[in-house]
Amino acid sequence: MTSGNVLNVEHVSVSFPAEHGRRLWAVDDVSLGLERGTVLGIVGESGSGKTTVARSITGQEVPSSGEIFLDGVPLDAHRSRSTNRAIQMVFQDPYASLNPRLTVRQVLRELLRIHHLVSRDDEEERCRELMRDVGLPPAALDGKPGQFSGGQRQRIAIARALAVEPQVLIADEPVSALDVSVQATILQLFHDLRERLSLSVIFISHNLAVVRHLSDRVAVMYLGKIVEEGEREQIFSDPRHPYTRSLLASVPRLHAASVAPPRLRGEPPSPVDRPSGCAFHPRCPRAEEICARESPALLEAGDGGHLAACHFRNEPPTDLEDS
Amino acid sequence: MSVVSAAVSALAVEDLSVELPRDGTTIRPVNGVSFTVERGRSLAIVGESGSGKSVTLRAILGLLPKGGRVTSGHVAVEGRTLKESRRNLGRGRDAHLSIVFQDPLAALNPVLTVGAQIAEAPRFVLGLTRRAARDRALELLRLVGIPDPVRRYDAYPHELSGGLRQRVMIAVALSSEPKVLLCDEPTTSLDVTIQAQVLALLSDLRRDEGLALVFVTHDLGVAAEVAEDLAVMYAGRLVETGPVSEVLSSPKHPYTFGLLESAIDVDTPDRIPLAIPGSLPDLSQLPKGCAFHPRCFLATPECTTTDVELRSVGEGRASACLHADQLTIGTRRS
Repeated sequence: MTSGNVLNVEHVSVSFPAEHGRRLWAVDDVSLGLERGTVLGIVGESGSGKTTVARSITGQEVPSSGEIFLDGVPLDAHRSRSTNRAIQMVFQDPYASLNPRLTVRQVLRELLRIHHLVSRDDEEERCRELMRDVGLPPAALDGKPGQFSGGQRQRIAIARALAVEPQVLIADEPVSALDVSVQATILQLFHDLRERLSLSVIFISHNLAVVRHLSDRVAVMYLGKIVEEGEREQIFSDPRHPYTRSLLASVPRLHAASVAPPRLRGEPPSPVDRPSGCAFHPRCPRAEEICARESPALLEAGDGGHLAACHFRNEPPTDLEDS
Repeated sequence: MSVVSAAVSALAVEDLSVELPRDGTTIRPVNGVSFTVERGRSLAIVGESGSGKSVTLRAILGLLPKGGRVTSGHVAVEGRTLKESRRNLGRGRDAHLSIVFQDPLAALNPVLTVGAQIAEAPRFVLGLTRRAARDRALELLRLVGIPDPVRRYDAYPHELSGGLRQRVMIAVALSSEPKVLLCDEPTTSLDVTIQAQVLALLSDLRRDEGLALVFVTHDLGVAAEVAEDLAVMYAGRLVETGPVSEVLSSPKHPYTFGLLESAIDVDTPDRIPLAIPGSLPDLSQLPKGCAFHPRCFLATPECTTTDVELRSVGEGRASACLHADQLTIGTRRS
C-alpha cells in the first residue's frame, strides 16, 4: 500500500452464486492503487469484472475477501454517510441515473443539505459554481433532465457527483452512450476537472481510445483478473500481455492498415468455467504448455511500475500475434 | 425501375424519402437519399442518432414503423424495382435482400432453435427438402464460423454468447441467398475483439460470396474497416459520399470534417478531440437552408437560405456544401 494513494484495493475478490452450487468469481484477487489527483483507467470487455471492481469500491458489492482503504482507513461493509459521500459514481446512462421529476437545482440542493455542505444562504451560489464547473449556464438549474441533451445530462450527473466534494470519482463508461460528436466535450470536461479540482478518478471503459486520452495509469482486466497494469504509455506503447496487444489490434482504425491484423480466436469463456492456468491461454496466440498449467502472477515487466501476468512478459511478441 | 444504368447495380436507391408521425406532427427522417452499391462492394452509411441511417435501411426493406410511409423514391435490386407493398419481410426474401440488426436477441425467435431459424428460408422460400434445408443450415453455421455446428443447431438463441448470436443472425440473413445484405450497427453491442471477428466475417462474405453490403454505423473506424465507399448522413440527408479512404483523409463537408475532428483516436493520445458545437437538430424543427448551418464553422448567410443538393466535388466524390472547396487537409477549427 502506497501512502500517496487516496484509494487502495487490496486482494479483493467478489463471487456470486452460480448454477449447480458453483461460484462465479467476477473479481479474483484484484489489487489497485489510485494516486491522489490522477486518473486510473480500467479497461476490459464484458465479463472482465471491471464494473464489479467499481461496485465493490462504492460498497454496492461486498467483497468475499480482501480490503479497500480510503486514505489508509479500511472501509467496512456498513459505511457511514461521510464514506459514501467520499466516493461518488457517474454512470453510462445519464437518462437512467437522474430523477426526471426534479429540477437540477432541487437535486443539488437536496445533496448540499443532507451532507450539511454549505449554509442555506450559500446554496444558490454553490449550485451556480457547480454549473460553471461542468460547463453549463446557470439557467440549467431550472431544467429537468428530460429537457437536456445526452451530453448535457452527463454534465448534470457529474455536477451531482461533485456537489458532495468527493475524494474519489468513479466513472463507468461515461461517454459510451453519447453521440460521437459530443463524446469529446465530456472527455475534455474530465481533463479540466482533474486539472482544476485535482480530482482522483477511476475511469472504466471498454473504449481504449478514451482510456488512453484520459488516464495516467491503466489496468487491463480479463475474466476477473488484472492481466496488465502500468503507466499509460507503458500499456499503449509497450504492451506486455498478449491480451492487451490483441485488444489494441482490434480497435477499428480510421486509416486502416493495408494488412488486416490477425484476429483473436474464440470468445472469453464464462467466469464459472475459468480455464486452468492462465485464463487467457485458450485464445492466446503465444500460449505454450506451461500456460495451461500455471497461472502467471502479476509481476514486473520492463520499466518500473509496469506489471504483466504472462509467463512471456519479458519476451518480444511472436509473429503469430496481432501487434 | 424504368431506367437502369448499363451495369446493373446490386442495389440502387433513388430519391428515397420517408415520413413518420411523431408527437402529432410529421417528421421526415429520410429526405431524398440516393446511392448505389455494386456486387461484391460495400457502402457504409455513417451518422449519429437521428440522422436517418437506420430508417433508410428499414424503408428499403419495407419495415417502417407504424404510420411511416415512403413518400418518394424507388429501390431496385439487381435492376428489379421493389414495389413498396412487396417490400415486406417475406417478399424481401425473394427480392434477395436481407438484414442483420444490432441486437440479435431481439431479432431472433427465442422459442425456435437457431438451426430451425436458419433452415426456414431454404425450406420454405428456396423449396429445399427438410433434409437438404438442414444440411444447408449446418453449412451456413460453418460458413459464419460457429464452432461445433451440429451441437449449436439445436441451441436456443439465449444459450449463445452475444458474438455467436450475431453470427447466427448473419447465417439467418444469408439463408435466403440474398444479393444484398443490409447491416444495421451489427457490431455495436459486441466487445472489440469479437467485433473484429464479425467485421472480418462480413468482409470475407463480400469477397467470397460476392455479396453487396450496406453497413450502417455511427463509428467511423468501423466504416473504414468494412467499407470501400462512405456516405455521411445528417438530419435525413446524405451530405457527403465518396471512397472511404478519400473521404476520411480529405473530407469535403464540414460535418464529416467535424466528425473526424471529434473522433477520439487510440493512436494519437495527445491530439485533443474537438467536439462539434451545438447538438443534433430536432427533425420536427429543422433549420432552414442547410440543416448543419447552425453548427458549421464555414456557414455564411447563403447557407441559411439555400437548400443544397449533393453535387460532384471531384472524381467519385460528392458534397452537399456550398463551401466544399474551402476544406483542405490540415484545416483545423481554432
